Amino acid sequence: MNVLVSDSWVRRALLVLLVLVVLAPVFGWASGAVGYAEPLENAAHETGAADAATPSTPGPLPDYSVPGLGAPFGTLVSAAVGTGLTLAVALGAGRLLER
Amino acid sequence: MHIPDGFLDPWVAGLFWLGAGVAIGVAGRRARDELGDERTPLLGVVAAGIFAAQMLNWPIPGGTSAHFVGGAFAGILLGPSLGILAMTAVVTIQALVFGDGGIVALGGNLFAMAVVDVLVGYALFRAFRRVHETGAAFAAGWGAITVSALAVGVGVGLSSAFAYELRVTVPIMVGGHALLGTIEGAITAAVYGYVANARPDLVLGRIDDDSVPPEVGL
Repeated sequence: MNVLVSDSWVRRALLVLLVLVVLAPVFGWASGAVGYAEPLENAAHETGAADAATPSTPGPLPDYSVPGLGAPFGTLVSAAVGTGLTLAVALGAGRLLER
Repeated sequence: MHIPDGFLDPWVAGLFWLGAGVAIGVAGRRARDELGDERTPLLGVVAAGIFAAQMLNWPIPGGTSAHFVGGAFAGILLGPSLGILAMTAVVTIQALVFGDGGIVALGGNLFAMAVVDVLVGYALFRAFRRVHETGAAFAAGWGAITVSALAVGVGVGLSSAFAYELRVTVPIMVGGHALLGTIEGAITAAVYGYVANARPDLVLGRIDDDSVPPEVGL
């Protein structure tokens, strides 16, 4: 792991990750302000499929929120946890696959 | 773009799982030779960066919003095999931890965002990079997300929840994402330009040979 921290590009990349995480609640607020719809949702509306969505498991942080915590903080925690977890999983998988 | 559970008929979901599974399996095998002390951290950082970037919903006046998907970017930066693995980590965590995209539908979401988006983006970049590198990165981001949307549009259009209305789902998905894809292309080109300028050696998709050589050194 020493290699990881001492490499300059890795340190810069980790800083970029931190900035992205801090930006997440800002963007969350802004997109909430204009309303949110993706083409898939539009297609579901057009064909009457909108009600067919049946979430089988909401996950521990449903819809990038923390149960019981308000929107900006919930989004911030979700961004931090998700980014850290993705880093750990991808690194771990990479290390396992290395020969 | 994330398909929730309930949208896909079982056989469609199964086919998506099959396609995604085969591609991810091949990517995992090929990745063994490509990973090393520099590329493994790169794989982790790119995956984490794409997860974080996907959380940034760019509001578009008129009641829509789009976020960067990043499969093409992963393919360009990491090459097809590591790109598929990075996106697999992102899409799987989104489904399991955040309920973004269903569990039965995870195969479809992996197929669209971790396989098609990566491979089409990589292929477009390789095809056009000699004409114009940044332009090729834009074309990769834009074209790949549009083809991914086509895959999702066909998948839901063949399913009963969407009343088998392929003629409705495909134009909405392809048209919508072709439009939003210009943002995907612009971000892909901008970040590619920055990384290629700062550390060209890290851009595995630029390597001339078709397969990324093993990491040497140490």
